[in-house]
Amino acid sequence: MTAEAQQMIDHILQLIRKPGVTIDENSPLVSSGLIDSMALVDLLLKLEDLTHMRIPAGKVQPKDLDTVAKMFATAARVGKSRK
Amino acid sequence: MLRYRNLIGALDAAPAGRRFLTSWIDEDEQQTLTFGEFRSRARAQAAVLRSHGLTAGDRVVIIMPQGIPAMTVFVGAMMLGAVPTFLAYPNFKVESAKYRSGLAGVTANLSASAVVIDDEFPDDMLGSVTLSNQTRLLRAGSGGDTRDEDAFKTEIHPVIRQDDLAFIQHSAGTTGLQKGVALTHAAVLRQLEHLAYALQIDPAADRVYSWLPLYHDMGLIACFILPMVCHIPVVMQSPLDWVMHPETMLQIIGEHKCTLAWMPNFAFQFTPRRSPQKRWSQYDLSSLRAVVNCSEPVRASSMREFQKAFAAAGLKDEALHSSYAMAENVFAVTQSDPVRGPAHIWADGPQFRSAHRIVPVAEGTAGAVAFVSSGRLLPNLEVRIVSSGSALGGSVLGDGSVGEILVKSDCLFTGYYNRPDLTAQALIDGWYHTGDLGFHLDGELYVVGRKKDLLIVGGENIYPQDVEELVASHSAVHDGRVVALGVYNPDLGTDDIVVVAELESEELLANAVEIEAEIRSRVVAGMGVAVRTIFLKPPKWIVKSTAGKPARSSTREKLLREHPELNVDD
Repeated sequence: MTAEAQQMIDHILQLIRKPGVTIDENSPLVSSGLIDSMALVDLLLKLEDLTHMRIPAGKVQPKDLDTVAKMFATAARVGKSRK
Repeated sequence: MLRYRNLIGALDAAPAGRRFLTSWIDEDEQQTLTFGEFRSRARAQAAVLRSHGLTAGDRVVIIMPQGIPAMTVFVGAMMLGAVPTFLAYPNFKVESAKYRSGLAGVTANLSASAVVIDDEFPDDMLGSVTLSNQTRLLRAGSGGDTRDEDAFKTEIHPVIRQDDLAFIQHSAGTTGLQKGVALTHAAVLRQLEHLAYALQIDPAADRVYSWLPLYHDMGLIACFILPMVCHIPVVMQSPLDWVMHPETMLQIIGEHKCTLAWMPNFAFQFTPRRSPQKRWSQYDLSSLRAVVNCSEPVRASSMREFQKAFAAAGLKDEALHSSYAMAENVFAVTQSDPVRGPAHIWADGPQFRSAHRIVPVAEGTAGAVAFVSSGRLLPNLEVRIVSSGSALGGSVLGDGSVGEILVKSDCLFTGYYNRPDLTAQALIDGWYHTGDLGFHLDGELYVVGRKKDLLIVGGENIYPQDVEELVASHSAVHDGRVVALGVYNPDLGTDDIVVVAELESEELLANAVEIEAEIRSRVVAGMGVAVRTIFLKPPKWIVKSTAGKPARSSTREKLLREHPELNVDD
């Protein structure tokens, strides 16, 4: 796992604040109810920070952010380098 | 507005070359239609629907992604005299079996003649969808072509009378306990007449921005039908694109010089908190003349936060507005004065909480509660505040007393479609019992909470019964011993869903983490919404009513007593 993926996992654990819950790169987050739609923006902003990319609106669906692995794959697919 | 025969007559009167709809995907991808182009596409959709045998009075359920094709199908159906309704597009989190049974229930209640979906509609959500024999499933492609439009023109147009149903609005995005609010052309036109007057709509200068879903009254009426009838442009994006990138709202308003926007309360906090502060001043919100806080109780702190954050982007203080709206009245009951804005008052806390009376005090007085009004009544609207408690409805209360809000108007709904039982409970002697609590003071209406068991999460209506049923389906949970509550989350500016569930035995508490995770995924799979906190309790914890059912309000009080971390000053 990359250092960025680990940082994302730490960020998510901090965000959900649920004692006893552990997650890895492939844990479903949205479809398991751990992350609600109002927290998706926190994940996207963190993803933009970690990848130094801009992820355009309209190109990303919640299912693209369901796991940490999918988040980084999505950034690689639709991310644009920062102007 | 009242000069038009019906909503289609209003659309027909729009100047063909004027901009109507802009669908904003991102800065590289936008599509704009003029009123003339929109009309052509809607006529083409009408011709397609007619070729499938649809005719006046037929109910048409539309389940398509937010965008121009969905809107042209909706108007195309109305052109035939048919009665369209939007349902929420299935969310990837929802289990297909659950979705299918909900959809079957809604279409059966409407005796729908057709369900219209898009080409990308997920197959598993459809599967063996159990639609009745009389319901056809139609795929709307990119939406007809000009030959279809020509075909429509040569056919005889249906006569659409003022008192015919125009469309049906559903009360919640999920397909569980649905109530379809049936509205006539006349009711919608009268509402828009009142609203356009109250907001001083100017077709030459106004432009609406919206991220609101079309199945909800704010998105459908204020941000689609009002612009269509008043001939003003709208720039819209999908709710999901907005919630994932709230900052795009600032970008769109600035780029398109929008003047009007409607949003639920939480968006007034969510937008500044989830848009990087370093970029606030790059945007230009100076074109906004009214951003209307609507549908949830209006909170002074949320309004202030939005105003302070975006003053740097040129947002005018006087652009902050409020309204109290509901599908049953087509839309708005009140609107704040376009010049003076909503009234702000401070009231004595203990008097409000225990005596349900508003005693104004000076700003900042210790223990005082701040209220923002929802504005003044629209013309031809009447409101009564009645004491709740007695089953037959209480007595009418005067200024400054908190009670249930009753509404009477010339634009009320005719009833919940095919549900005379629910209609009879809500519409009594011409008064619609809103289930909301509020008070009148100096000509302004204030909405302070809800009497009805409805959770409003991020502007979305959620019936606690739907959540409770899903939680109770877990084998470790005692059947029927579940309560779902909305608890205010001051960080988000909206309610969180909190669930209290009794387990079958005390020993099961040892598996709490696992059971919680399973409950969480069941609720997501069933409804697409996330539960914030789950409290698993030993048997007999939930307070029961005399009828043996869980008593929501007493259980809530007990929960807040035992878990003081949930107590927030709202």
